[in-house]
Amino acid sequence: MVKPSRSYRVFQGVNGVILTLVVIVTLYPFANIVARSFSSERQIRAGEVTLWPKGFNLTTYKIVFQDSMFWRNYGNTVLYTVVATAVAMILTTCYAYVLSKKHLKGRGVLVGVAVFTMFFTGGLIPNYVLVTSLGLKNSVWAIALPNAISVFNLLVMKAFFESLPTELEEAAQIDGLSTYGILLRIVLPLSKAVVATMVLFYSVSFWNSWFSAFLYMDKSELMPVTVYLRNLISGATTGGNAGAADAQLSQVGANIQAVTIVLTSLPILCVYPFVQRYFVSGVMLGAVKG
Amino acid sequence: MSSVENAGQLSRRQILAAAGFIGLATLTGCGSGDDGGDSKDLSKKQNGAMKDYRAGQQFKAAKPLSLSVLHNDNPVYPMKKAWLFWKELTERTGVTFEPVAVPLVDYEKKRSVLIGSGDAPFLIPKTYHPAEVAFVSSGAILPVSDYVHLMPNFRDKVKRWRLEPEIDSIRQSDGKFYLLPGLHEKPRSGYSLALRTDVLGRLGLSLPTSWDEVYEVFKAIKAEHPDRYPFSDRWSKNTPYPAAALFSYLGQAYGVRAGWTYNTIDWDVKAGKFVFTGTTDAYRQMIEFVRKLVAEKLVDPESFTQTDDEAVQKLLGEKSFAISANPQELVQNYRFNLEKQVKGAEIEMIPVPLGPAGPVVLGGVRLENGVMISSKALKSDSFVAMMQFVDWLWYSDEGQRFARWGVEGVTYTRSGSQYKPKPGISLMGSDPDAPKDMQKDYGFYNGVFAYGGSWELVSSMFSPDEKKFQDAMSQREQTPIAPAHPLQSFEQEQASLWETPLRDHVTQNTLKFVLGKRPMSEWEAYVTELKAKNMDQLVDLHNKAYERFKKENG
Repeated sequence: MVKPSRSYRVFQGVNGVILTLVVIVTLYPFANIVARSFSSERQIRAGEVTLWPKGFNLTTYKIVFQDSMFWRNYGNTVLYTVVATAVAMILTTCYAYVLSKKHLKGRGVLVGVAVFTMFFTGGLIPNYVLVTSLGLKNSVWAIALPNAISVFNLLVMKAFFESLPTELEEAAQIDGLSTYGILLRIVLPLSKAVVATMVLFYSVSFWNSWFSAFLYMDKSELMPVTVYLRNLISGATTGGNAGAADAQLSQVGANIQAVTIVLTSLPILCVYPFVQRYFVSGVMLGAVKG
Repeated sequence: MSSVENAGQLSRRQILAAAGFIGLATLTGCGSGDDGGDSKDLSKKQNGAMKDYRAGQQFKAAKPLSLSVLHNDNPVYPMKKAWLFWKELTERTGVTFEPVAVPLVDYEKKRSVLIGSGDAPFLIPKTYHPAEVAFVSSGAILPVSDYVHLMPNFRDKVKRWRLEPEIDSIRQSDGKFYLLPGLHEKPRSGYSLALRTDVLGRLGLSLPTSWDEVYEVFKAIKAEHPDRYPFSDRWSKNTPYPAAALFSYLGQAYGVRAGWTYNTIDWDVKAGKFVFTGTTDAYRQMIEFVRKLVAEKLVDPESFTQTDDEAVQKLLGEKSFAISANPQELVQNYRFNLEKQVKGAEIEMIPVPLGPAGPVVLGGVRLENGVMISSKALKSDSFVAMMQFVDWLWYSDEGQRFARWGVEGVTYTRSGSQYKPKPGISLMGSDPDAPKDMQKDYGFYNGVFAYGGSWELVSSMFSPDEKKFQDAMSQREQTPIAPAHPLQSFEQEQASLWETPLRDHVTQNTLKFVLGKRPMSEWEAYVTELKAKNMDQLVDLHNKAYERFKKENG
């Protein structure tokens, strides 16, 4: 290997500094939220909390831990994420696998149908009417089914499947495997990278999503924790609206908001490092094929 | 329709559009016409209704009913099934609510979807006028004015408190109103200036009663602390107007609607017509006053851009000595935190200082948010009972007392007009150590059900600070209310197309003038710019609508 030139080392140094700054800027808000979650309300209000907790206490965590609605919604989020991701993975994999077969007749139309939805949607109210009249309202299916296939993920997966050597599948066919056998025993085991990536994509988006739940759920005990959080945070910041009934003017404490944010983002943050090693290879493999 | 008469001068596209409009209008006209046919005959919708339901009488459904209601779920007191409110309500009235819970923050969005898809609950509370206007043309909500004869308490209060002009102001172009608003006996003021009284005392100043005195007080504070701003304000974020509270109560002293209360079009009593708010003399004088404060460094220029927290932190850090307040913020935030941080600090909220307009409060504030009713409720056989129930809960003295205070002897005690929460129950932070909370644990004083009411009832919830403030403010006279001038739906669309850029321009330039970024000599240029943005057409539109409504409805 050639010894890096001086200018390259300077470049790397500068690069390192800039990237460190970017990391600090990105991490700071989160560190601040974590610090707030352990601080006392008074110190937050006085603007004293930056990176380290002031007036350290765990009372707020205790308060939030005791809120049964928070845990109920938290459980919903887990349930919705797991079910919706499972459904999405099955459907996306099957669709992508079919689309990756070049000899398939009408493949263009099938791709077109999917891509069409990227540009045009039925609109909010027709969607709502559809989901309602299918009787999906107030059930996990209202969240899982309408969002089951993300066209972007579908295309990435399709590209990945196309990159697998056809000879492999032909060989499997000759050895007597059915179409499903090929998919399950040959293709999927070879596609762990892209599957892991897709699971990550889907689960993160389902974990963070709030809109479909907000739309299709009519009871607060069915809401995911994101809706709970959203209500908590903006309910606290819009307290001063003119004309708001006086009964609405009290505010949620800043520390309670912070604790809820920390608890909500923690699990998905923990998942990231484990899936990330698949992440780069997965997307790259799909993308280069083009 | 006039558009057909001038068709000769119009392009083909316009004619097509006009034809489309007429078609739509006929269609919707037919739709509501059908409903109108049914609605006259309410004899088949008497299920559960009381025969002679009168004002002041306890409503009790003849047989158990259940009623769907959209419930605005407030994160401060999240909805619970176990609330005493639900249980007691069923016991007293025989009606069981079936709430559809919607998080407060996106309430408007979900409401639109539900109404648009025909899936809305019968009762849709927490609707602020003019939000209901958007749903009128679809026919999805009920013209409630046709059915107020079923609501004796509502009619009684409108009559006794002389709310007819206010009610007229929410009528649509068909002369009907579609929202049952919250009714107040007296206007309630919300916001004013809060000052550090200990600092004033040290400087030998008394509390200012007029804006000129406020100016003098600020100057004196500035002389004492040349490196700080006497006044740093808030309520500039999450609102379309900078320093929304300040402009609102300062504008009141000048007799204009600014800040939160800003209305592009305002009623000029002397001229007897509508005028453009942002170009009136009073509006200009108000701007010049704030401009003077900014120029002399008496008000922090960041007041118009900073977050609420930043403004409060300046107050708590003694970098400023005055801030806009409402009674809750004064007690729970400013005073509570100041007492902990600054030794001997005292802060008071003063009655809104007087200005050129004299002792007035803005008119039209006696209506609050209210209830819309789904048109499909009319098809229900228990429609009459529902209207009676709505009348009882939201408009009867007993219903209003129940929604605010709960059950006597259980959640509150009362002697005369003095109400008190039972020991162990906290109301709006009245007793931070109490194990139970009126809103969180019992469901009373919930913004969905408790608002409006007699002055006695409303003031029963005031803290001592607020009582002092409201007593002073309630002595003042209301400014006249703009007469009804409902726009037709296509006019409405045109008006909002014109209004948005006009409002933005006014807001931006208010800020520029105030901050000294634009000299006052450019005022004429500013007016010309507004004219280029169809200011005059908009004013004309409203004046024409006013004339038309006057002619058609006497």
